Amino acid sequence: MNDLSNKINSLFEPRGGNDDETTVPSSLSMGSFLASSVHDMKNSVSMLIGGLEKTLAMADSENLTTYAELVQMNHEAKRINSNLIQLLTLYKLGQKIYPFDPQSIGVEDFLNSLAGQNGELLKSHGIALEIHADPALYWYFDEDLISGVIGNALNNAMRYTRDCIRLIAKENKGMLELRIEDNGSGYPAFMLQESVDNMRGVDFQGGSTGLGLYFSSAVARLHHNHGRCGAVMLENGGSLDGGCFVLQLP
Amino acid sequence: MITDPLKPIEPEMDISDKMVLIIDDYQAMRSVFRDILRSCGADVRKISMAASGSEAIASLNKSQFDIVLCDFNLGPGKNGQQVLEEAKFKGLVGLDCIWIMVTAEKTADAVTGAAEYQPDAYLLKPVAEAVLNSRLLKVWKKKQAFMDIYQAMKQLNYPKAINLCDERLTKDKANAAELLRTKCDLLFASGELDRAKELLEKILIERDLPWAKASLAKILIKNKKYDVARLLLEETVAVNPSFLEAHDLLVETLQAMSDFDGANSVLERAVKLSPNSVARQKSLGEVSLKMGNLEEAERAFKKSVALGENSVLKTEGAYIGLAKVYSENDNADEAFKVLGQLNKSFDTKAIRLKVLAVEGMVYHKCGNEEKAKLIAEELSQSLSKDHVDHDSEKSLEMARLFMATGHTEKAVALLQREVKNSPENIVLLNEINEVFVAAEMAEEGAKLVETSRQEAMEMMNLGVLLVSKGQYKEAIDAMRNAREVMPTNVRVLLNLAYVLIAYLQKNETTSGLIREARDSLLAANARSPGEARFVRLMDALNKLPPPI
Repeated sequence: MNDLSNKINSLFEPRGGNDDETTVPSSLSMGSFLASSVHDMKNSVSMLIGGLEKTLAMADSENLTTYAELVQMNHEAKRINSNLIQLLTLYKLGQKIYPFDPQSIGVEDFLNSLAGQNGELLKSHGIALEIHADPALYWYFDEDLISGVIGNALNNAMRYTRDCIRLIAKENKGMLELRIEDNGSGYPAFMLQESVDNMRGVDFQGGSTGLGLYFSSAVARLHHNHGRCGAVMLENGGSLDGGCFVLQLP
Repeated sequence: MITDPLKPIEPEMDISDKMVLIIDDYQAMRSVFRDILRSCGADVRKISMAASGSEAIASLNKSQFDIVLCDFNLGPGKNGQQVLEEAKFKGLVGLDCIWIMVTAEKTADAVTGAAEYQPDAYLLKPVAEAVLNSRLLKVWKKKQAFMDIYQAMKQLNYPKAINLCDERLTKDKANAAELLRTKCDLLFASGELDRAKELLEKILIERDLPWAKASLAKILIKNKKYDVARLLLEETVAVNPSFLEAHDLLVETLQAMSDFDGANSVLERAVKLSPNSVARQKSLGEVSLKMGNLEEAERAFKKSVALGENSVLKTEGAYIGLAKVYSENDNADEAFKVLGQLNKSFDTKAIRLKVLAVEGMVYHKCGNEEKAKLIAEELSQSLSKDHVDHDSEKSLEMARLFMATGHTEKAVALLQREVKNSPENIVLLNEINEVFVAAEMAEEGAKLVETSRQEAMEMMNLGVLLVSKGQYKEAIDAMRNAREVMPTNVRVLLNLAYVLIAYLQKNETTSGLIREARDSLLAANARSPGEARFVRLMDALNKLPPPI
């Protein structure tokens, strides 16, 4: 946890996080300054999404180009929103003020509801989504955090899949295993080799900030039970012979 | 097992006939919510809107709503949580009303506020139609599952509520976790501590659940095993740094152990997690004041007063604390000003007397002995008139003033009565000892407290002893006498009811004695709700044959 909170603080505070009072005031205020700005941006994006949803509801779905563009815009706004939420969450985890709240959740319902939120986008991209989960499977996790993780993985899969994504949930050796599998060409070798915990950070060229994976890994490790904690893994193969994002929760 | 994500989740819940209230200070957001609810199937003619907390309360007063969608942040005035608290406190919403709080981000309060004032769900902005729809359905299903349990709880019929939990646990997997938690709470509330402990330990073997650890700690605290409770809670807080309930229990434990330093640092962390709790800021003020940290005390009390301004749950404590801080700082004028505000905000006789006692102490502190004495005089006259006093804080304030103004006998009598009324309340006994210490009567005071405590324990048990010897009439007399001396002592009240019921089980039932037993039981329950013996005795009382 120490390692984690240091990393998170370093996201916000250039000097690196310190729990004690020796942190200089300027870097402290920088962290809270960023956090409050993120909070403010989130409010604006919320309004933006509200407006887009309304326009989308009124838009003529016959006019396919406009409609598809609106769906895409809405999707991008939501992506900004979930990135902001992830930043804010990481900040709060570092400050030990994130209200972590694991509850017993019906896994199938949970996945269905996530799929429902992405229904329009999947449709417009012609991607089929399958959910494989036992309706009697219940597990303890923080619903908001895990929906952030799965939403993120789903977004990623939508970018790289050919035309199909599978959400699979099953119990495996006392852990809940959530798999997001696609039929794309899979993860590049360097990503598979690198452990998720030692992310090399921002890759401006590739357009990937590493935030999503970093967030997922932090959230997974936050979940613990009797000495075991959660983990995130990337694999190639799976039932669709493509990329697999695997989240294990104790 | 394969679900088509494009097919909307069919709501089994029809909301077209539901009365809906939307509370948000932004016109644009209100329309967004209305549109979403309309697409969820709500009838626009049944949707009402409120732009502020007070507008919301007015609407809630006027009609009964089935669904309330409330933004947490409502600008100046009441916030969403305060609207919910007021609605529940005044009974403006029924048990079946679905209250959904909308927040910009997840906060610690959202996770563990006071359970009775929790909304049914929190939604994070932006609210998507699919999310609201599925959340409404989920809450609605849960309400259906818990309705009869809640009703039994409201009637204080805990055995029935526990049976209902057991029954439902055999068939309802979706709510199993919540049912188990409710059952633990019910066992605790009805005083079945051993059964509660057993169940909690079983739950903890399956999974490390912070709430279950907090509940175990609650049992330890009730059994006065503070050392063990402290260890358990410190471990829980370390692993779950944002779990407020464990912080609150740890503060309670440390205070009972007179470790105010420790209580203070835990409170500081809790306040950082949840800066907007009237009660927590007040506690922080009190602990800081006790430790002589006047600056921190002033800040916390001021915050508590400010937060309480719009809250139906505000108490006089923060005002009194703030007045004491000003008085300690030799700023009598400010202290009087705060007490004046307090009198204006809480217009009851009981509070006026308490304020008067504090005012007397402020005069004493700033050297105006004449005024202090006059007030002490006035208070001592009121004392003989109103006999039963439920507010031990008030008695303590008065005792402080009596001590300071030379009415030592009156102060001692008052304090002895408080000891007898609550001989098992360690925190109160400590405070009483402190009043003696402040009056330079430490040794004498400690002896007085101990003798009163022992006297009380003897009187409390005399009735039960006499009943075991078959001397029913003597037992009743003894417990009536005990009630005269210790009118708010819970064990005395329960024991009086016990001897009356034991007598009635052997003799002809008379309505007078039944009334007396019931009155005594209800007084005990008002003072300390949900004692195991209250539940059992009430049951026995109801089973007596009707009077002839």
